[in-house]
Amino acid sequence: MVYQGLASKFSSLMLFAVVDFVSSDLEDVAQKCSLSYKALVAVRRVLLAQFSAFPANGADLYEELKSSTAILSTGIPSLDKLLDSGLYTGEVTELMGAPGSGKTQVCLSIAASMSLGLKQHVLFLDSTGGFTASRLYQMLQAQAEDEEEQLEALQRVQVTRVFDVYEMLRALQELRDSLSQQVLSSTGPLKVVLIDSVSAVIYPLLGGKQSEGLALMMQLARELKMLAREFSLAVVVTNQVTRDSSAGPLKPALGRSWSFVPSTRVLLQSKEATWEKTNTQRVASLAKSPRQPTGIQVVLDVGSGGAQELSPVTPTQGL
Amino acid sequence: NKGNSFLFQRKPLACLPLAPALRARLVAAGFQTAQELLDTGPCGLSKEIGISKEEALEALQVVRQECHSDATQTAGAPGTSRKCTALELLEQEQAQGFIITFCSALDNILGGGVQLTKITEICGEPGVGKTQLCMQLAVDVQIPECFGGLAGEAVFIDTEGSFMVDRVVDVATACVQHCQLIAEAHQEEDHLKALETFSLESILSHIYYFRCRDYIELLAQVYLLPDFLSEHSKVRLVVIDGIAFPFRHDFEDLSLRTRLLNGLAQQLIIVANDHKAAVILTNQMTTRIGQSQSTLVPALGESWGHAATVRLIFHWDNNQRLATLYKSPSQKESTIPYHITVSISFKMEIQRWEQSVSCEELFRDL
Repeated sequence: MVYQGLASKFSSLMLFAVVDFVSSDLEDVAQKCSLSYKALVAVRRVLLAQFSAFPANGADLYEELKSSTAILSTGIPSLDKLLDSGLYTGEVTELMGAPGSGKTQVCLSIAASMSLGLKQHVLFLDSTGGFTASRLYQMLQAQAEDEEEQLEALQRVQVTRVFDVYEMLRALQELRDSLSQQVLSSTGPLKVVLIDSVSAVIYPLLGGKQSEGLALMMQLARELKMLAREFSLAVVVTNQVTRDSSAGPLKPALGRSWSFVPSTRVLLQSKEATWEKTNTQRVASLAKSPRQPTGIQVVLDVGSGGAQELSPVTPTQGL
Repeated sequence: NKGNSFLFQRKPLACLPLAPALRARLVAAGFQTAQELLDTGPCGLSKEIGISKEEALEALQVVRQECHSDATQTAGAPGTSRKCTALELLEQEQAQGFIITFCSALDNILGGGVQLTKITEICGEPGVGKTQLCMQLAVDVQIPECFGGLAGEAVFIDTEGSFMVDRVVDVATACVQHCQLIAEAHQEEDHLKALETFSLESILSHIYYFRCRDYIELLAQVYLLPDFLSEHSKVRLVVIDGIAFPFRHDFEDLSLRTRLLNGLAQQLIIVANDHKAAVILTNQMTTRIGQSQSTLVPALGESWGHAATVRLIFHWDNNQRLATLYKSPSQKESTIPYHITVSISFKMEIQRWEQSVSCEELFRDL
């Protein structure tokens, strides 16, 4: 209607987007464009009605959450206890640890038990080249006797190799599109997405003098959170740890901006302090959680049968 | 192609590999998705954001390329597709071979030998035998298939200058003799035929040697590797002897170093994965000074530890060399003793080097 003429007048005033117009001083615009103030107010009302968000009732939100959230068991009882009975859909859970601390093993173990026990389809995004199908097969063999079942479970795990951040973003968007179009064919009922690791694709962009890395990291964060919320998926990511100085404490990589993305963070560590004595035991401690007190620790064994709990299974209050 | 354009329509600008300044202008002008850019066209684009028509055309080309590569990905282009089920991957892995090291204990803890499509890192102090193992593997990768090898070629990137051709000659000679003995014992036709082409000259000619003197040459060499490997498709091993050396000196900006190293790691993973090659890196050890004690840890920092999928640490215990498998996706951590040898075959002992430590090599059982 009257928009065509307005658009050119607005762009001459540097009002390119809806937000510029809505936040500008209407009297000022009315003078410069020689339009009536009433007309501008009407336009603004229409734009606000079209583009604003609706406030939601807290009780409605709770009901919606109760009906759409599922809690998926990881297959490792002690880890479930740490996570308050399992992985919550709609949230991003982070596993962090030093090299060799068992992050990939725990991810493989979760994939094995989800596809075998819960018969769910799993998407595994591998950016480090660490996904070894024979190891997954080994874990499945330890959990199920029937070879048919094992092969079926293997087919439910979809692996995509993404070695830089653009490929990862593309893979996540493909997932979003296939889920929103409800293309069931190969993905099937997907509830879990495992990403090993997210820091491997972000690290080559951070540091130096360029600031683009942060923007891409935030774009990735946004994609993951939207996927988790919109499609009720449980997203698991793995992250590195760094130190401030050579003797400082370990802290998660990717900085403060990323620390707001996962709602739950689990730190994996080897039991021994040095690498000279080697074993298969790992200590998992809760570093961030919306439901449990932090500091709870459990011991896992990443041996031949996949990540398992060690008996006795009493979670202890950590350091 | 309706399916592809639907995928592409809502692709936000931040996911396109555009220059930051250009992207900032597009966002300020109110563009949000790739489809909007394509709909506007180059003339409209150059008017709206105030850039020249050539720049607008270039930007649209980049966007169209992304659309095209999106399309080929979803259509499942052969060769470059990286999506598959775990079952398919398992079949691929089981069909792949290993590069044997000729030390059966080491092969055992590695699960059969050095794995293809993965990065293996060997850390250790100077003199512990890292370059030795690399040279051994550069020869072993060339063993013909009928003798249990991969019949591949090797790329050796040297940053420290520790590559000794005479030593490689020793190793290659021993390897050829070993294969000759197998052929004599079994007397099969394909063994004898393979031996005709498997000789000292052919082994040496199939090791492609590059010398990089600083980190820029190293980075350039690694980024040029995909082109080299497309021309030499039989390469199954890439060795970078001394990844730490060019990065440890004269690096003022540590965050830049981390960024470069991680980019290097990702590039090497792509090379290993796309060309079905094994990548071996050797690293130095450094001292971490703790509160009460100091320990030897691999160099290049905490974040570098994530680059390699398999990590082997070679160290000393009194006079015994030990190899510890520290990190692996499929094998348990374990430590084995090993020895460095001069060449031995069953009936002969060739002593060429005067060394204070006596040497014996454990040969693989026939």
